[in-house]
Amino acid sequence: MRSRLRYAKVLIFSLPLAFLGVFFVYPILTLFDISLRPDGALDLSAFARLLTSDYYLETLLFTVYQALISTVATLLLALPCAYVFARYRFRGRSLLLSLATLPFVLPTVVVALAFSAVLGERGLVNDLLRLLFSLDHAPIQLERTLAIIIIAHVFYNFSVALRIMTSYWSSLGFHAEEAARCLGADELAVWRDIRLPVIRPALLSAGTLVFIFCFTSFGVVLILGGIRFATLEVQIYYQAVNIFNLPLAAALSLVQIVSMLFMLLVYTATQRRLHLPQDGRSAHSARPHTLRERAAIFITVGLMAILLFSPLAALVWRSLFVAGHLDVSGFTSLTDKTRASLLFTTPLQAVFNSLRFALFATSAAVLLGTVASFMINQPGAWSRLVDPLFMLPLATSAVTLGFGFIVALDEPPLDLRSSWAIIPVSHALVALPFVIRSILPSLRVIPPSLGEAARMLGARELVKLRTIDLPLVSRGLVVGATFAFTVSMGEFGASLFVAQRESVTIPVVIYRLFGHPGLTSYRQALAMSVILMLVCAGGFLIIERLRGVGVGEF
Amino acid sequence: MLQIIDVSHAYGNNVSLRRVSLQVAVGEIVCLLGPSGCGKTTLLRIIAGLEMDYQGSVTFNDADIGRTPAHQREFGLMFQDFALFPHMSVAENVAYGLKRRGLARARIGKQVASLLERVGLDGMGERDIASLSGGQKQRVALARSLAPNPRLLMLDEPLGSLDAQLRDQLALELRGLIKREGLSAIYVTHDHREAYAVADRIAVMDIGSVEQIDTPRDLYLRPRSAFVARFLGMRNVYHLKHSRFTKELVCMALPEEKRSDVVLVHPAGIQLGSSADSRVMTREAVLQSKVFRGGYYDVSVTVDGDTTLSFAAKRVTAEIGAALSVEISLEAVIPLQS
Repeated sequence: MRSRLRYAKVLIFSLPLAFLGVFFVYPILTLFDISLRPDGALDLSAFARLLTSDYYLETLLFTVYQALISTVATLLLALPCAYVFARYRFRGRSLLLSLATLPFVLPTVVVALAFSAVLGERGLVNDLLRLLFSLDHAPIQLERTLAIIIIAHVFYNFSVALRIMTSYWSSLGFHAEEAARCLGADELAVWRDIRLPVIRPALLSAGTLVFIFCFTSFGVVLILGGIRFATLEVQIYYQAVNIFNLPLAAALSLVQIVSMLFMLLVYTATQRRLHLPQDGRSAHSARPHTLRERAAIFITVGLMAILLFSPLAALVWRSLFVAGHLDVSGFTSLTDKTRASLLFTTPLQAVFNSLRFALFATSAAVLLGTVASFMINQPGAWSRLVDPLFMLPLATSAVTLGFGFIVALDEPPLDLRSSWAIIPVSHALVALPFVIRSILPSLRVIPPSLGEAARMLGARELVKLRTIDLPLVSRGLVVGATFAFTVSMGEFGASLFVAQRESVTIPVVIYRLFGHPGLTSYRQALAMSVILMLVCAGGFLIIERLRGVGVGEF
Repeated sequence: MLQIIDVSHAYGNNVSLRRVSLQVAVGEIVCLLGPSGCGKTTLLRIIAGLEMDYQGSVTFNDADIGRTPAHQREFGLMFQDFALFPHMSVAENVAYGLKRRGLARARIGKQVASLLERVGLDGMGERDIASLSGGQKQRVALARSLAPNPRLLMLDEPLGSLDAQLRDQLALELRGLIKREGLSAIYVTHDHREAYAVADRIAVMDIGSVEQIDTPRDLYLRPRSAFVARFLGMRNVYHLKHSRFTKELVCMALPEEKRSDVVLVHPAGIQLGSSADSRVMTREAVLQSKVFRGGYYDVSVTVDGDTTLSFAAKRVTAEIGAALSVEISLEAVIPLQS
C-alpha cells in the first residue's frame, strides 16, 4: 500500500521534470550543439567571428551600455521616491505603490506602443507642441534613439526598484538618521553618511535585477530601437530569422545564457543580504509636517503619475481619437481581412488565438507548477537541487527559448515546429517559474504540524492533500494562474520565433502592424495594444488583490 | 494500555532516545517532563506514528502497532502550536476527525456542539480561527483531538504558548476533563509545576533516557539523581568532596551503606531557627539573599563560608549579611546517583 503510493508519487513528480527536460534542457543543449559543432565536428569559428568582429563586440558592448544607463537612470529616479514612500504616510500611498507595479505585467509590445503614442513622431507630445507653436514638423525626434529605449526601460523597471527599496527601508526604520540629525548632520550629510550606506544592499539588489531585465530586453529595443540599436537579444533574432545564420545566432545565445547565469549569481548574492518583509507597509512612517516634506511627496506623486500613467493614457487616447475626434476604426477594423498578406489572418483571430493559447499554457503551467512546488517543498537535500532547476527558464531569455524550440523540436517524434501547440508549450515554460514562486511561499508557511494533525485525526495522504494543503495554497494558485495567463497573453520574444502564419498571437500582430507603414495598421496596432493592456491590467488587479495576504515571492 | 519497550531513535548521528521503556495504564495520565531537546517530543511522535524510524517495540492493548500508520492508530494528538486548520471554522476543525471516520452529518453536528460545550466554547462554532485568543485556540485544539474518541490522548506542551496565569488555571481544567472522559493520556511539558498539577505519574527525561518515573509526590520528596533534583528546581545538590559541612551532615544523616558522593539537602527540610532535636542539625549561617515571593521568601544562606543552602521561609526579619541559625532535618539528606 505504502510502496504503491510512493510509486505514484515518483511518477507524478517526474512529470514537471520531464517537461523541463524535453522543452528546456533539450533545446538549450541543441543550441550548444549548433554553436559548437555546426557540422557535426567541433568548430569554434562562430565564436571566433564573435570575438574578432567589431560589429558583434559592439553589440555586446551596446547591450551592457544601454542596460547600465537604464539601470542608473532607474535607480536615480526610484531612490528618492522610495525614501518618500518609506518615510511618510499620505493619502493614496498604498494605492499608488501597488499601481506602480502595473507596468511590470504589461507586455513589452504594449509598452513600446505606449511610448510611441506619447513620445513618438505621431505621439501626443509632438501633437501638442505642434499645436501650441504652429510647427509643421514634429519637434521631438525620439523614435529610434537610445533615449526612448532608456525611458521605456525606466518605465518598466521603476516599480521593481521602488518596491525593493521601499520595503527594505521601511523594515529598517529611521532612527539612525534621526540620531544623526541630533548630532548635527545636515540633509546632505544624512544622505551621504546614513541613507545611502543603509540602503546600499537594497540598491545593489535592485540594481542587479534591473540590469538583468534591461540586458535581456527584447520587445522594447526591437520596436523602439530597430536594428541600429541591436542588443544581444535583437541580434540573435536577426541572425536566426533574417539572415538564417544559425551557428552564429546559437553562439550569441550561448553568450547570452552564460552572462545571464553570471548575473543571476550576482543577484542571488545581493539578495541574500536582504531580508524583505512580505508587504511594503511601514511601521516607522510618519505624516509629513513641514512644507518641504509635503513638496517632496507632491513631486514624487507627480513624477510617478507622469512616468507611469502618461504613456498608458496616451495609448488609450491615441487609439480612440484622431485629430481630436472620436474614431474607433482601429477597433472596428480588427475583423478586416485586408491585411492578409501581412498577417495571414485577421487581427481578431489573433485575439482568439492568444486567449486559447493562454488557457492551454495556464492549465499546463498551473498543473506542472503545483506538482513542482510540492516536490520542492519535500524535506531533503534534493529538493534544494530541484528548486533552482525550475527557475532556469526565468534565467533564459525568451528569444533564446524560442530559438531553441525551432532548432530542437523540428524532427519526429517531437516535430512541433508547424504545430500550434509549440506556442502554449513555450508560454507554459516561461510562466512555470512564476507559478512556482506564487505557490511555494504559501506552501512553505503551512506548518508541518497541520498535516500531522490531519493524519492523527484519520486522514490518509490524499485526503490530507485535498482537505489541508490544496485549500491553503488556493490563493497562491489563483495568483500563479493569473500570472501564467498574463505572461502568456503578453509573451513576445519566444512567440515571434515559434508562431506560424495562422497561429500568431496579439503581441506578434501588434509588432507586425506597427512595423508596417500606413495609418490603418498603426491604428489597429494601437487598438490591439489597448485590448492587451486591459487584459493584463485585469490580471494585475486579481494578483494585487490576493497578494496583500502574503502570497508570492517577487 | 500502552507499552513502550527499549525504544531507541537517532536523527542521523545524534541519538535522541536511548532504550526508553514506559507504560501508560488505562485511565492514567503520564507526564513526560524534561528540558528541551531531551527527546520527549520524539517519543511522543513515535507513539503517534509520525516517526516510524526507530528500534524497540510499541504495543497497545498487547497488539504491536509499530507499523500502523498514524491515521489508523486512533490516537489523539494535541500539538504545541495547536495546528488548527486556518481555513476552517472552529466547528469544522472539531468535526474534521469525525468526518474521516465517516460519521453521518447530523451526528457530527451533535457531537461537535456537545464537545464545544464541554470545553467551554458553546456557541462559538462558526468563529474564524484567526479571531480566537490563545486560550480559546487551546480549547479548540483539545476539542478537536477529543472528538474522534481517541484510545490514547497525547498532549505536546499544550499550555506552552500561553501566559503563566492562564496556564495554572487551564492545567487544572485539562486534568479534570481528561479524568471525566476516562482517557489514558501522555502529557509532555518542561514545567515541573504543570506536571505536578496534571500527572498521575511523571517520567523525567534527560538527553534521550528516562531518569525516573514516579508519582508527583514521590518525585518531589525523593528525586533519584542530581539531574532530576536540579530540574525540579532544587539547588542544594552537593558533591561531598567539595564541602566539609556536607560531609559532616551525611555522616550524621545516612548509614554507611546509603552514603553516596552526591547528596541533596531537600529544601522542605530546612528552616530558620534552632532546635535540640537529635534528628535535626542546627548551624550558624550568614544570610546571603532573601526574595519576597508573596506568601513566603526565597532564602539563601551560607554555612561554614563555603556551602550555600536555599530554601523557603515564611518570615525573615534579618538583614542581608546578618548571622542567623538554620536547622536542617536529617531526613532531608537524600543520596543521589551522580
